[in-house]
Amino acid sequence: MRQSVQELAEKYQNNLFAIAFHICKNKEDAEDVVQDTFIQYHTIKKNFESEQHIRAWLIRVTINKAKNMNHTFWRKNKMSIEDYMETLVFETSESETLFETVMKLPEKYRIVIHLFYYEDYSVREIANVLRISESNVKVRLSRGRSILKEQLKEEWNDDK
Amino acid sequence: MTNKEKYKQAFSVLQTSRDYAMEVDNMTKLTKKTTMKTGIAAAVAVCVVLAGGGTAYAANVGGIQRTIQVWIHGDQTDAELEISQDGSYNLTYKDENGENKEIAGGGVAMEADGTERPLTAEEIQEELASPMPEVEYEEDGTVWVYYYDQKLDITEKFEDEFCYVKLHHGEKTLYVTVKYQDGYGVSEDKYPSPSEWDTDAPEE
Repeated sequence: MRQSVQELAEKYQNNLFAIAFHICKNKEDAEDVVQDTFIQYHTIKKNFESEQHIRAWLIRVTINKAKNMNHTFWRKNKMSIEDYMETLVFETSESETLFETVMKLPEKYRIVIHLFYYEDYSVREIANVLRISESNVKVRLSRGRSILKEQLKEEWNDDK
Repeated sequence: MTNKEKYKQAFSVLQTSRDYAMEVDNMTKLTKKTTMKTGIAAAVAVCVVLAGGGTAYAANVGGIQRTIQVWIHGDQTDAELEISQDGSYNLTYKDENGENKEIAGGGVAMEADGTERPLTAEEIQEELASPMPEVEYEEDGTVWVYYYDQKLDITEKFEDEFCYVKLHHGEKTLYVTVKYQDGYGVSEDKYPSPSEWDTDAPEE
């Protein structure tokens, strides 16, 4: 199956932007990554099995492109994450603290945490998207949660 | 609130207002126009260090240009090789879509006394005719190993970020260890450990 870029953008552009932002930590780069991802989708002649297949593909390509973006030598003069955060309107101060704390996690924990808590992906789905083992996902999730608990204390519940 | 609810509330601030559908439409039109001109999107830098040998580089004023056959993504392809005096080269060929592509590279040879010199044209040609395996990450998320006429899709072969590939060409066998998105090593004896190409990796 195929869906138009317009349909997919309406549904997933903010999700993909958030994923790219977790890796790039920069609005402009993250937006460029999302654009490149949709261009890639538009260009490839790939038939997908389902909408979930498309979603997983978009997420994987976004992650790969965001990592590539971080490795390019040429970077524009862009807004720092601190300056960008000042433009965001958080519902509560706890939300702002959580956002800031997550963004300080090492990248490999950050992306696993995001796919689990924001995208509602299971450990198996995260393993498939990131091409790592389920046990590796569990380790990253566990370490990421421990850091969040340590930093946020009662603002972060104990996960089972 | 659960952690998931807290997390979603915190990160719901990340919104993008760009019109991606329109941008994709515009960009794909633009890309079609410029690809033929640039054609270097997949430029690969090849650095070769050879041991021994004492051939002096011939002083060619205008460089050397010749047609050679090279393996590109598993296909043997005619390519125009242009070699400069500094040991760098440009390889231009047409891909399967007839579009011009360019690979730039170069290398140095280490003399017995430790001094470096640019590779000779013959050495560059020899290296290009005997390719090493290449690992490429496609933008659709697939991962491929190319070696002579072999094209292996290793996307599903990774376990714990690692994939081990055994390649044969004639009587030669190569062992390739690929760490997902983090380099690869090649050896004729055994699967190399990541510490052999990644100085940050722990010793095994």
